[in-house]
Amino acid sequence: MNSLGSWLGQRLPLDKLDLRELTNEPVPYHLKRWWFALGGTPAYLFVVQIVTGILLAFYYQPAPSTAYNSVRYITEEASYGWYIRSMHKWGATLMIAAVVLHQMRVYFTGAYRKPREINWMVGMLLLICTLMIGFTGYSLVFEQLSYWGATVGANIADAVPVVGGLAKRMLLGGDRYNANTLARFYIIHAAVLPVTLAALVATHIAIIRLQGVSEMQFKDEDPSRPRSFNFFPDHLYTELIMGLALMILLSALATIAPAEMGPPADPLSTPEVIKPEWFFYVAFRWLKLFSGSAAVLSMGAVVALMFGWPFIDAFIRRRSRFQEASVWIGILGVLAILGLTVWEALVAH
Amino acid sequence: MAQQETETDPHDLDGSRRRFLVGSSRLAMLAGLVAGYGAFGRIAARFLYPAHAEPRQWQFVADLKRLHTGESLRYVAPTGEPVAITRRGNRGDSSDFVALSSTCPHLGCQVHWQAQEDRFFCPCHNGVFDPSGKATAGPPADAGQSLARYPLKVERGLLFIEVPVERVVRGDGRPRAGGRA
Repeated sequence: MNSLGSWLGQRLPLDKLDLRELTNEPVPYHLKRWWFALGGTPAYLFVVQIVTGILLAFYYQPAPSTAYNSVRYITEEASYGWYIRSMHKWGATLMIAAVVLHQMRVYFTGAYRKPREINWMVGMLLLICTLMIGFTGYSLVFEQLSYWGATVGANIADAVPVVGGLAKRMLLGGDRYNANTLARFYIIHAAVLPVTLAALVATHIAIIRLQGVSEMQFKDEDPSRPRSFNFFPDHLYTELIMGLALMILLSALATIAPAEMGPPADPLSTPEVIKPEWFFYVAFRWLKLFSGSAAVLSMGAVVALMFGWPFIDAFIRRRSRFQEASVWIGILGVLAILGLTVWEALVAH
Repeated sequence: MAQQETETDPHDLDGSRRRFLVGSSRLAMLAGLVAGYGAFGRIAARFLYPAHAEPRQWQFVADLKRLHTGESLRYVAPTGEPVAITRRGNRGDSSDFVALSSTCPHLGCQVHWQAQEDRFFCPCHNGVFDPSGKATAGPPADAGQSLARYPLKVERGLLFIEVPVERVVRGDGRPRAGGRA
């Protein structure tokens, strides 16, 4: 063993102390509370998505004539195909939910404020990237929702002034949905966006490491307790428990409500009742309330406001006496999103 | 002893020639990188951009004599898209006819004809159109969008329509018949 150790040591000259320093970031004590350890959840689910996604890619065939049947094969014939596909589908749902919850936690605790503005914006990019992966993902099944969702999505891009037409043609590979479209969605879903997401996650974590996690003190805590604990092994154990709990939850969901096959895509018939996945209900309802360009531009404006929120918030706090205006604005925003989502969920049209 | 790099050139006493050479070679390097990778980026973008517009063709629809004023027919394009063609005049040219697309101008879903309500309805975002294709409710009405009209022409007493010809197969691979319905 020793000779192997020295053989490796000569070829990988790692300093054990450096390694310990690198992996053992002190973790603020409040991360003992689950609510504050939500950032690791989407990261863990991302790994689940990569593993299940690679497995699905062994059978999936991204062409209009074959896609639906290959997903049907995965779901109905391949051994445990239903489980892998359902894990992937529920993993996506939980990942988006976890990203949103993590973002809400960061927002309502003001953790985006100076000097963490840049990481908030990286987080926004992660949110958009995650939603895009969700959107391109359900477009791949090539069921009715996939086809019409992709068509509507591309036409939303088209409604953006100046660059819209170009974006639509680049996304679809033509003036409308055509034989090349599915391959584009597939490569965007399975290569372009995951690589982008991984790079963004790395940036997100690197910035957290550079700045340290924002620390919080709670009233019911003993002030004499240590301010932080070790990442290894304490926080790693927390993450491992969360990972196990998530695997149990995913398996339960996959078993109780497995991913099913909707009606196959029919480019000539939009179903009488059509809805996107739940995380786009709010956008879908918004699109029914306003004309195309107005809806798309206002949604863009909301996203831009969210991006720049740390600076807007700082401006409000500097110039007015409403120091906690962000909390009320946040509550209003969450209620609006919830309201539109529930409205869309409850009605057929 | 080998000559040292830092040794002053007797012809370049104030170092301006060296600075010029260093600066210009950096600039040349930068220009080369920008031009090289920029050209590759442009080629990649051009590669991803569709090589040609959606192919369209003129297709035969009907003999003018068989479609009287006020009558409609349902034409099915080679893509399978149904097109409602109505004759509204009797001049004998293409201005007599209107060929309505069934693709919603809002975000591209297929509208449904609802006979009881005498209207076209888009299930995606609740767009409503009257029989002439004019939007009467929903986002298309707010934006003043109507159902698109396909180009028509009359040659030797025959009506032709210009429609897209490439189609995307159904998810289950079941074919659809094109041509006249």
